[in-house]
Amino acid sequence: MIQISTGDSRPIFRQIVDSIRLQIATGELEPGTKLPSVRGLAMQLTVNTNTVAKAYNELTAQGWLESRPGLGLFVSKPRKLFSDRERERRLNEAVQQFINQVIGLDYDPDELLQRLERDLRALDIRSARSAGNE
Amino acid sequence: MNDLAIATDNLSKHYGRKRALNRLTVEIPRGGIHAIVGSNGAGKSTLFRLLLGLAQPSSGRSQILGRDSGALTPELRGRIGFVNEEHTLPDWMRVEAVKAMQQRLYPQWREDIYREVLGNFDVHPDQRVGELSRGERAGFNLSLALAQSPELLILDEPTLGLDVIAKRAFLEALMFIGAEQGGTIIYCSHQMEEIERVADNLLIMERGQLRSMSPPDEFRARVGYWIVDLPGNRPANDEIPGLLQARRIDDQHHLMVIDAGEHLQQFLRERGARVHSRQAVSLDQAIIGYLAKNHRTPDRNAR
Repeated sequence: MIQISTGDSRPIFRQIVDSIRLQIATGELEPGTKLPSVRGLAMQLTVNTNTVAKAYNELTAQGWLESRPGLGLFVSKPRKLFSDRERERRLNEAVQQFINQVIGLDYDPDELLQRLERDLRALDIRSARSAGNE
Repeated sequence: MNDLAIATDNLSKHYGRKRALNRLTVEIPRGGIHAIVGSNGAGKSTLFRLLLGLAQPSSGRSQILGRDSGALTPELRGRIGFVNEEHTLPDWMRVEAVKAMQQRLYPQWREDIYREVLGNFDVHPDQRVGELSRGERAGFNLSLALAQSPELLILDEPTLGLDVIAKRAFLEALMFIGAEQGGTIIYCSHQMEEIERVADNLLIMERGQLRSMSPPDEFRARVGYWIVDLPGNRPANDEIPGLLQARRIDDQHHLMVIDAGEHLQQFLRERGARVHSRQAVSLDQAIIGYLAKNHRTPDRNAR
């Protein structure tokens, strides 16, 4: 469910973009899912149709959505969003952050690894999207 | 026929000694929803009255749909809709009778639109206008205005005093029926929440003049909120580049500024100030901050 709020420091079109991206990343919106029409989402949210069109354009340009002429907009098939190097850099950053956070908690490394593994498997991350299989 | 919905050139209007419009020059293109905001007395309603030829300007010119406001033919008036905050309609008439009268007046009457818009409101054909609530009267009035399928629809504070449900229905009808007929909608409002939802274009008026015209998100992006440590004496307000509002909270200075990135950065560096944070603001904060400031023109900022 896409939600927007007025009086936010993010423009409404940005809130729509963020919300749809999050839903795709968490699998709430699966590849191949059809999105509401521009007018439909605009009516659902009571916002100007141009605002929705702008959000959809950005998501399409970034590869999250694809347009099938005559049919509408769909969540794209998983594909690589970052270069190998950028992926590596982001992973490093995340690992370093994680280590800094847990270092003071006094856990045994084996315990930490087990815990991490359990949580990652529970998430059932769409690995195809993050690993890239274009 | 030109591609402007309205155009004014140095338009002024004085009421006695009060200047309601002060050499206003503005051009609004055809198509889309244009919202005009401004404090009370900014000249919005006066502008509408002059555009519609309901009052004479003290000086200057105005055009509506390419025609001089002073020389509007009945045919041209038929292509312009006007809804004001009072939603003035004859109290003693029944809804159906008012509709029948309007239907005869407007050759391009769209019964389907009338029914669709009115369907959002709890209005019965047999009711007298005087029996309708404020929200129902607003809905009825909008149904009449949209059914005329006007090329240009002007609304003066149309949602004033409506409850949230009636307001939502009103905005939906405006956006999804009114704007989609390809017409132009110009409306003024004090409701920022509404403007953020509906407006393609935002005009800010102050003391009878146009201060800003751009898409709402572009205007918002010009305004920023800085929290800084300023050692030494506090600079005078007009020394701070682009300042809209300054407040001192817990020994820190909170500055709301417009168009101020580089200049402010440099100013603060010279003062040995430290910037704690720079934040984006919401549209209503940006507009309120802008209107609250005591007139600061770009020229004075640059000095």
